[in-house]
Amino acid sequence: MTAPVTAKTARRGHFRNAELLGILLLAVGMFVLPEVLGSDYLLNKYGRYLVLSILATALALSWGYGGILNLGQALPFGLGSYCMAMALKLRTVPVHTGAEGLPDFMVWNNVEKLPWFWQPFYSMTFAIAAGILLPAALMAAVGWFMFRGRITGVFVAIITLAVLVVTNLLIIDQQQYTGGFNGITDLAQLEIGGIVFDAYSRHTYYLIAGTATVSLLVCYALTRTKFGLILQAIRDQENRVRYFGYDVARYKIAVLAVSAGIAGLAGMLYTVVMEFASPTFLGVQLSLSVVIWCAVGGRQSLAGAFLGAVIVTGMQGVLSESKTFLETWTLVMGALFVLVVLFMPKGLAGLLQSVIRRFRSSGPSPSDKKAADVAVSQRKEAA
Amino acid sequence: MHFVLEQFLTGLSIASILLLIAMGLSIIYGTMGVINLAHGEFIMLGAYAAWALKTFAGISLLPSLILIFLATAAFGWVVERLLLRRLYNRPLDTILATWGIGVVMQQVVRLLAGGDLRYVEMPPSLSGGMTIFGVEVAGYRVFVFLFATALFVLTWWIINGTTFGLKLRAVVQDRSVSSAFGINPGRIYGLTFAYGAGLAGLAGAVVSPLKSVSPEMGTGYVVDAFMVVVLGGVQSLLGTVVSAFVLGQVSGVIAFLQNDTIAKALVLLLIVVLIRFRPQGLFVARVRT
Repeated sequence: MTAPVTAKTARRGHFRNAELLGILLLAVGMFVLPEVLGSDYLLNKYGRYLVLSILATALALSWGYGGILNLGQALPFGLGSYCMAMALKLRTVPVHTGAEGLPDFMVWNNVEKLPWFWQPFYSMTFAIAAGILLPAALMAAVGWFMFRGRITGVFVAIITLAVLVVTNLLIIDQQQYTGGFNGITDLAQLEIGGIVFDAYSRHTYYLIAGTATVSLLVCYALTRTKFGLILQAIRDQENRVRYFGYDVARYKIAVLAVSAGIAGLAGMLYTVVMEFASPTFLGVQLSLSVVIWCAVGGRQSLAGAFLGAVIVTGMQGVLSESKTFLETWTLVMGALFVLVVLFMPKGLAGLLQSVIRRFRSSGPSPSDKKAADVAVSQRKEAA
Repeated sequence: MHFVLEQFLTGLSIASILLLIAMGLSIIYGTMGVINLAHGEFIMLGAYAAWALKTFAGISLLPSLILIFLATAAFGWVVERLLLRRLYNRPLDTILATWGIGVVMQQVVRLLAGGDLRYVEMPPSLSGGMTIFGVEVAGYRVFVFLFATALFVLTWWIINGTTFGLKLRAVVQDRSVSSAFGINPGRIYGLTFAYGAGLAGLAGAVVSPLKSVSPEMGTGYVVDAFMVVVLGGVQSLLGTVVSAFVLGQVSGVIAFLQNDTIAKALVLLLIVVLIRFRPQGLFVARVRT
């Protein structure tokens, strides 16, 4: 980070504009897609991919910009998903919910009364608020616990992963309240303001696409604020920022909470589009997959992470139709991931960025060329 | 009294398994600073090697141990040479890369050997039982305990009593100064990783008769191994032993009082709290700068 300020800002401004352009292109693409796709089945499938993309974007915010390697990103996602599932479960017609409005799995487990923490979920407003605030609060607490003790690096990864595993174990273990391994199934359809969000309808797809666009823009706006700048400074040189008098922990806790809130939102949408909630939604597998999507797409680019999730899950979807392909796919994905981490630490977005830069630097503008040269030598330095 | 002794021996048996699976991880993490998330897969590889040698070549478990050690160590050496050495200045990325390597290993084994559970036969000479102070113990568990102890002593001697160990300790203390003295750090790292991988393979082979062998068996082991290493402190082999013993006894007691899931969750939470307040581990007096 010893480069002259001018070159640095030139590079950054250039990249940021590309980022906004990417986000806008993604948004247009999302809203045009239903016109191209014929069937409701495909619409549902792409809706699922987009939900996972929101999750990846949330991780790119805390990992790519905040430098926090959160291996438990599926935790807020899964919590959001359960909040929505609990609310929708209580709205199913009594046939599905056993005697006196009790969810069926509670009846099977001899629970006689709806537990207190299920009660507020009769209100959809509460459920939606809880689906965002509960994960945000939990991750803020985890962040407070870690960052007040100046825990960094691999220990952050271990702690977040451990918290995820513990929650997952508890949810599976407390079968009478959470549905255990099976999760919460047989849900009603989400209905807001008279609009029914059937998982296979355009309404749901547009709800997801709209949320995705807003999330991307909110994350982008955050990275442009002073908060975002300080965050990146912390990522690059934590101690130096601390010496400037900033409360480093507070910034890290904040970004972890924001990222968790967005992940919780995505989790709620996932329940709507999948029509159930399951412990796998906060499983280690998914949590590490999110990291892969970000790494492949480009961890330091919101649009890149978003696209990375669509590309990887989309390819997985295409190849997993047959069992042999599914198994080879996991192999290919693992190998691809290792190669990306080794040789392309900035992912697809970084690749695109350097292609654009090379294209530009062959042009006549001398200042651009200089900026590009500095950037290239910087990259060499970093490598 | 009889009950307490029984409980103690159960804990000791768990502890010896924990020590076995954690030793390789401890060496690699403590000396190279690489968090090897593929450690569980190296254990799995050892278990499958034991199964394959028995099934296809008819070699029983004990004589095949040396082959398994050599094979997994060689594989570990290749992994370090080709991939990991590019990541030494990006420690967070080693987590990601080793995890990817683990996924690939798991999938290759699944494609080659199938996803079904496999069983490795216990050597007949060790399948009997014996009585210690009036408590019935399985002979194989005694063997595991002795084997883990022997392996630990051997490892201790390699690090503290051989020229290789001396070089290793020098590289750990200061990489550039040691290379100025003519030590080749790349070579030392390669061999260390190979040794750690070989230990993981041995652990997999030795525990395979006690547990079922499947491609995803490594995931559970890597978590357990991590807990041991983190509790013991990354720099201390002796700490690994003490923490394996403590964790073995604790999980024996908790498993007796509560169900398995709660026990696991509690131990994990304990580790999280421990990392927060003593990231250097419980049994380390001095921290490397």
